[in-house]
Amino acid sequence: MPASAATGDAVVRIEGLSKTYGTTPALHAVNLTVRRGEAVAIIGPSGSGKSTLLRCINRLEEPTEGRVFVDGVDLTSRSVDINKARREIGFVFQSFNLYPHLTAQGNVRLALRLVLRLGRAEATARARAALDSVGLSDKYASYPSQLSGGQQQRVGIARALALDPKIMLFDEPTSALDPELVGEVLAVIATMRARGMTMVIVSHEMQFAREVADRVVFMNEGVIVEENTPDELFNRPVRQRTRDFLARVVRH
Amino acid sequence: MGFDEFARAFLNYDSLVAAAPLLMQGALVSLLLIVSIVPAALALGILVAVAYDLGGPLRRRAIIVYIDFLRAFPPLVLLILIYSCLPFLGVRLSEFATVVVALVANGSAFFGEIVRAGIESVGRGQREAARSTGIGQVGTMVFVVLPQALRNVVPPLASNMVELAKATSFAAVVAMPDLLRNARTAQDIVYNPTPLMAAAVIYLAVFWPAVRLLSRLEQRMVLARR
Ligand SMILES: Nc1ncnc2c1ncn2[C@@H]1O[C@H](COP(=O)(O)OP(=O)(O)O)[C@@H](O)[C@H]1O
Ligand SMILES: [Mg+2]
Repeated sequence: MPASAATGDAVVRIEGLSKTYGTTPALHAVNLTVRRGEAVAIIGPSGSGKSTLLRCINRLEEPTEGRVFVDGVDLTSRSVDINKARREIGFVFQSFNLYPHLTAQGNVRLALRLVLRLGRAEATARARAALDSVGLSDKYASYPSQLSGGQQQRVGIARALALDPKIMLFDEPTSALDPELVGEVLAVIATMRARGMTMVIVSHEMQFAREVADRVVFMNEGVIVEENTPDELFNRPVRQRTRDFLARVVRH
Repeated sequence: MGFDEFARAFLNYDSLVAAAPLLMQGALVSLLLIVSIVPAALALGILVAVAYDLGGPLRRRAIIVYIDFLRAFPPLVLLILIYSCLPFLGVRLSEFATVVVALVANGSAFFGEIVRAGIESVGRGQREAARSTGIGQVGTMVFVVLPQALRNVVPPLASNMVELAKATSFAAVVAMPDLLRNARTAQDIVYNPTPLMAAAVIYLAVFWPAVRLLSRLEQRMVLARR
């Protein structure tokens, strides 16, 4: 059950965010706030702008319009130190994006060395602690190619977690996994959640969103159609579009 | 021409003994050229490729011109041009430095183009992962992209290293006392082509195993990709 401590200050504040790829509009005037300790799930059909929204929160995408504040820092400002800001924002990719030439430990340690400038011994200890926390204490020396998809994604989570971020962003963390490996990754996310980590999760796992999120956001065609508590949104959706979407995904 | 005659001309023991010191000195100069030129050209090529990748459109266009020009220009012509033109511009370079400059420039263009392709073969997600943890552009390039990029282009890199090493024999035309030139000097002393034959054998003894190794390497990369 989610901690209902969603009363803290805003970790993420998005104001009037729009993003256009060439002439393709991906986001239109999106407003969203994520409070400290809150878990927000974003759901919606493919191509509705979920990834784009998430990627704007650490400026992997440059917004066309609008502002994004993370922990009070305006990421859209010209003078922002983006590398410093990104330390505080963990990002987990659908396709893991592990460094194939480095071991699990090397994957986690790289940013600790380069960004936090920790010494080798300290960085190694901290990388191992992060791998321990995702249940991979026996895989320090394994290369990504030697790990299952579920294990790879857990290394991806450890890599972000090791920097001790203020917020974690997950872009469909389980949709590249075989069904039998989904559970282990969701369990890790649920554990982080129980420890009070602020997070935004884009997911197709409706059951998981319902269990772990304080708030669910439904997106369609680049806009937020409806947002509410999981109970309200899944059981008593207000908008027709939301109902249609839920009917479709529940039937499948 | 009977075998005896052939042997007297090409496999003459006395001539070989007489030429040995010159050949050894020449081989040493050739070796020195190779170890000076090949690593420097590779380093400069990597730098060119990275500069291209991190550069804006203007710098990119300039680098393409650099790469295309030097790949199109025959290295022997470049060497002779530098050798004969620099003095008129008031630049005095030793023969050794002239050869190094010409061949490093030539090699860097080939290596630059290969490494550029290698960098492009590394998926966008790798950079995004590194950048998302706060690693800067340069750190991402050095520790995430380049190791994978170079690994992807080991066979063409190695093959061009062999090419460049062989091209050091062009040094002979600008009076560098390298293996080839010294063999010809010795030939003039002993009045038969045995020293030249010996030089050919030395070149082959070095480069034949090198190209065999290359084939093995290529085969292994093909297998690894399956
Ligand atoms: N790099 C890109 N270039 C062009 N169009 C893009 C790019 N990324 C996403 N889009 C488009 O933006 C829209 C939203 O995509 P996305 O945010 O990936 O949706 P979702 O994650 O909800 O599936 C889609 O129409 C998609 O085709
Ligand atoms: Mg997506």
